[in-house]
Amino acid sequence: MQAAPSTYSQVYKLLAKDEFINNAKLGKVLARKCSKCGHLHLVTTYFCQNCGNKAFENAIIEGKGAVVTYTIITVPPEGYEKYVPYAWVVMKLDNANLRISGFMGGIKSPADLPLGTKAKITGYDERGIIIEKL
Amino acid sequence: MEKVCVIGAGSTKYGKLEDSITDIALQASVDAIESAGIEPKEIGAGYISNVFGIADKQVHLGPLIMSNLGIPEAPSLSIESACGSGSVSFREAYANVAAGFYDAVLATGVEKVTHTGTEWTTTYFSYCSDFFYEGGAGASFPGLFASMARAYLAEFKASEEDLALVAVKNHDNGLLNPKAHLRKKITVDDVLQSPVVASPLKLYDCCPFSDGASAVIICNEKFAKDHSKNYIEVIGSGRGGSPAALQGRERITTIPSTKIAAQAAYKMAGITPKDIDFAEVHDCFTIAELVDIEDLGFFEKGRAVEAVRQGRTRLNGDIPINPSGGLKSKGHPIGATGIGQIVEVFDQLTGKAAERTVKDAKIGLTHNFGATGASCAVHIFTSV
Repeated sequence: MQAAPSTYSQVYKLLAKDEFINNAKLGKVLARKCSKCGHLHLVTTYFCQNCGNKAFENAIIEGKGAVVTYTIITVPPEGYEKYVPYAWVVMKLDNANLRISGFMGGIKSPADLPLGTKAKITGYDERGIIIEKL
Repeated sequence: MEKVCVIGAGSTKYGKLEDSITDIALQASVDAIESAGIEPKEIGAGYISNVFGIADKQVHLGPLIMSNLGIPEAPSLSIESACGSGSVSFREAYANVAAGFYDAVLATGVEKVTHTGTEWTTTYFSYCSDFFYEGGAGASFPGLFASMARAYLAEFKASEEDLALVAVKNHDNGLLNPKAHLRKKITVDDVLQSPVVASPLKLYDCCPFSDGASAVIICNEKFAKDHSKNYIEVIGSGRGGSPAALQGRERITTIPSTKIAAQAAYKMAGITPKDIDFAEVHDCFTIAELVDIEDLGFFEKGRAVEAVRQGRTRLNGDIPINPSGGLKSKGHPIGATGIGQIVEVFDQLTGKAAERTVKDAKIGLTHNFGATGASCAVHIFTSV
């Protein structure tokens, strides 16, 4: 009888930040869809938050959605001084019960970004996930 | 389970302090020991909460504190749970006394960061977020709460003036607290005209970075009766968690861990929010206090703003919130804050709160969380 793969090796395959980042660079969100209940999670989860199941299948979702909230940062953490002012936004993805947050440059005042503005993921770099207005 | 009591409490002043992290932790600990009227040798264990000891070149604070109290043989636990470290530490101390492992223990919280400057603290505090998604995409802590604020203001048609009222009220209370960091009367206009830190939050919507330490002595009922006539009893203790990142939450205008912790604490105490006479809540930013007092059940969702406008949360209101001045005015030495709230409840319920005494108070609640509420603890106390 073949030995069952160790829990660690199964979990290890889920450590897919690089794959997540590569998808973000293509404007996509790599999500994990629970193989049992279908609940969607971002790629960094190991167990389903809805049913506790451990098996997932990849779901590659178009990185487009609407801004649900954001801030405009004027006192930044280290490394972000040259980007001030910029926004950090939370976006609800279209056609999926999933939200994602990231960096949005070029936002100076709330008039530049009404809630509900359509936006999309356009890349990933030293600023993290990059989101731009559509 | 043993009944658990708090028989002594002490704090340093909160603010910019010169002494080392170990010294300020010891000053608060000695204060608590003397307030309890006990000898250090009666302490069975120490619970020491701290986040950025590294900033003052000292981590593993537990053994240092026990050694310098003359009880090096006593076990200690050093605890980090971001801004909620103090209340989590108190819970561990509480649980160990309730379980009968010790008759009496010390819980001390401490932080020393102001010497590092705003950029260091802003950067290091961002490590308490889900860094890959939040800090690592340029979100500061004010920025995360500012995102909650923007969502709240839009959903409940509240204004930045409403947020400012929270700051004004907490500064009024802090003026009456000799140990508060920011003892300064402010107006709504002062808040609105202060520099924007992370829109829509301005400097006066934010608590300060503070140094400081607070400590309490926790014991079983027999020990309390043998040593003191003026102590308080812990009647409720609850903890809860939330998705670590804001994007993981269905609603951004509520903090799930607060609700879970509060429900557990109310259930254990056998009371409801209406029975609470006053509360010390986690107002790291003005928006947080509004969200907290709804999640704790004092007001329905979206109704906190109206209550604040009516003055119901002021010191003479029907549910005074943050009589100490809160994190906003008393200050926020993050490892100490959760213990500092319990010090305030102790002072209030044992007749030591002087000018800021909440009239006829018998039951007080503390609410303290880590990060954007990813972890939370709520405790309920009664006078005896």
